[in-house]
Formats: sequence, structure tokens, C-alpha cells
Amino acid sequence: MTPSGMKIHASILVLSAVLLAACGPTRPPSDVLGNAQLNLASARSSGAATFAPLELRFAEERLEQAQVALQDRNYALATSLAEESEANSELAAIKARLGKLRESVDRVRQKNADIQRMLDASARDPGGDR
Amino acid sequence: MNRLALLLCSFVCVAGTAVRVEAARIDVDHERLSRSLSQLETDAKLGSYAASEIARAQAALLALSENGKGRKRDHLLYMAERRVDIAWATAQLHDFEKQDAELQREHNRLQLAAARHEAEQARRELDQQRLLNQIRAEEAQRQAEEARILGEEETAAVREEADQAQRLADAQARETALARREAELSGAAADALRLRLNPMSATRGAKGMQMTLDDLAFAPGQADLRADASASLAKVVEFVRRDPGKQIRIEGHTDSTGSADVNQVLSQKRAYAVLDALQAAGIDASRITAIGVGSEQPVASNESAQGRAQNRRVDIILLEKQ
Repeated sequence: MTPSGMKIHASILVLSAVLLAACGPTRPPSDVLGNAQLNLASARSSGAATFAPLELRFAEERLEQAQVALQDRNYALATSLAEESEANSELAAIKARLGKLRESVDRVRQKNADIQRMLDASARDPGGDR
Repeated sequence: MNRLALLLCSFVCVAGTAVRVEAARIDVDHERLSRSLSQLETDAKLGSYAASEIARAQAALLALSENGKGRKRDHLLYMAERRVDIAWATAQLHDFEKQDAELQREHNRLQLAAARHEAEQARRELDQQRLLNQIRAEEAQRQAEEARILGEEETAAVREEADQAQRLADAQARETALARREAELSGAAADALRLRLNPMSATRGAKGMQMTLDDLAFAPGQADLRADASASLAKVVEFVRRDPGKQIRIEGHTDSTGSADVNQVLSQKRAYAVLDALQAAGIDASRITAIGVGSEQPVASNESAQGRAQNRRVDIILLEKQ
């Protein structure tokens, strides 16, 4: 292929890319907020309100802003905000699981220490009457 | 033509510089995030826990460095930050899960040690009691013997007294024999129960068809399956294989003696032991859930030894589809 041929191909590529980019945001995407809403619901149900209130609030705020952007037909902005909301919900859900697990770890550790103490005590005093 | 080329060249140079300046500005955030990410990646403890989330964060960083110019930059930077946070949190989560599992294992071990300790103490008390009975019986026999010898030499009244002592000694000896027999019987009952393990059959429970392994499938107070339970286990495997479409629920149960905690853990540990055995026999682990119920669902009265033995069990249930 000659260099000029390559240039023509390249310019066609660039042109079609620009056209695609121009068309993209004007077409209303089918379900911009669906995933964001799902993620938010699952973050809430995993206890994010207690363990990750900040991330949960970010997720809620961005979802609301995305809804406004959607009403204004600003689809690109709505999509970005929905993505940001999703990521915040995801983080909130993980932090909630982390918080719960931390509590459980502390609880089991405490119990183990109690049993160990009991066993140590009876090892020191074998055959103690009950 | 020459001038045009020169013009084009200088335009390209200017544009190039502008891009480089932009790139240098982005680098600060990008650098910070990729440093944080590689710190996570090379972390001896956490690095291996969240490979897929690390990969997603790296993709977000790549998107930031490739497309993070102009209006898109804020969004891509935000996403990259969040993905790095998520990678860290996920790694910590997995670390805690591992810790939790380790503590849980430790917990089970301690609970078993405590249960074993209790059993040991009970056994020691029983042995002491038995020894005491024996000593008492021998003493009575000796007294009776003395009395009889005395009786032969002395008057009938004395003989009468000796007979009485003999009767008392006999009664005590009978009592001792009875106690000994009781102890033997409980051993025999255990053997009978063990035999009962073999003719196992499936019954219909509230949640679906089920089979029950009783506690003699396990070493006393422990969660390991006994070697001689393999026949019962083979029956269970055959039973769950018959319905490969159904989910399997394994429920461990105990009797009501001992603390609720110990019971819960022991029953759970036993349920898991059965789960492991089924898995080792080639049953798909995704079909199986195992839980410990403790003493909350007895099938017989906890008042009698027989009832308690029935309550110590592991149910293997083929769940009816809902």
C-alpha cells in the first residue's frame, strides 16, 4: 500500500470515529441508571448506612444528580454520574462487609480468649469439683 | 511546497508540546494512584488477595492516562480513585475473611478441647464411684465372713446377727453388681446404636427426603468422622447422588447437655466434616450447604440417655425445590 493510500484510510478512520463520538451521547441510552440503582440497593441492604455512611451518601448524591442530568437529556453526564454512583455503592458494600467481619473477628477472638482462660484455669486445678 | 511542510511541522511541534504539558499535569494524580496501587500489589500480605480488583484499577488508570484530557478527566480520575480504593478495601476484606476462618478453626479446636475436658472429668468421677462401690462390697463380705466364723463359735443369737450381716453384705454386693451391670449395659447400648448405623434408610422430613448419621459416626466429643462410619457415609453418598438436581443441606445437631456455644460449634463442625466427606466423594460442593443447629431441634427427649443419643446426629437433607 502506498503512503498516500494509508493516509486516506487513516482519515476515514478518524472521520468515522468523530462521527460516532458526535452521535453517541445524543442517543438516549437504554438503561443509564439501572446498575447504579441496583448497586445502591445492595449497598444499603449490606449495612452500608452503619459501616460506610460517607460512601453511601456519595452514591446517593451522584445517583440523584444523574437523574437530573437524564431529565435534562444530558446523557453523557448522566452516564458518568451513574458510573461514579455505582463505584461508590460498590465501595460502600465492601466496607460494610469489612466492618461486619471486623466485629465478628473481635467477637470470636474474645470468645477464644475466654475458653483458653477456662482451660488454663482447670489445667492448674485438675479434678476440681462441680 | 517547502514552506507548507515547514508550517505543518511547526504546528505539529506546538501541538506536541501542549499535549506534553497536559500529560505532565495529569501525571501528578496518575502517579499518586499508581504508586498506591503498586504498593498494594507488592504488599506481602494483601497483594495476592484482590488480583481482579487490582486489574480493574489498573484498567481505570490506563483509561485515565489515555483519555483523561479535557472534560473527561474529572470523571476518569474519580473512577480511577474509587477503583484503587475498592482494590484496597477488597484486599483488606479478604485478609479479614482469612483471619476470621483461622479464628473460627481455633475456636472449634478450643471448644472441642473444652468438651473433651468435661467428658474426661465425668469419666473420672464415674471411675471413682465404681471403685468406691467395690471397696464397700469387699468390706461387707469380709465383715460377713468374720461374723460367720464368730457365729459358729458363739451362740445362736450371735449367729442370727451374723446372718443379718451376711444378708446386708449380699444386698450390697447385689447393688454393686447392678451398678457394674448398668455400666456394661451402657456400653452395650452404644454398640447397639453403632449397629443401627448400618441399616440406614432415607425418610421424608419437613424439608425433603433425608438421611441421618448418628453421633457414633463421630468420635465422642469430636468432629472427625470415624473410620468405621465409611459404610454409612457410602449410603449417604449414594442417597445424594440419586437426585443430582437437588440442593443438599447438612444439619448438625447435639443434645441439650453442655453450653449452647459448645453445642453450636460442635454441631457445625460435624456438619462440615460431612460436607468435606461428601466433597471428597465427588459431590459438587456448590450443591451443599452445611450448618450447625446446636440443641435447638431435638428429635427425642433429652431426659434419657437413649433420647440424647438420638438427638446427637447429622441430618443430610435433599431440599425440595421451591
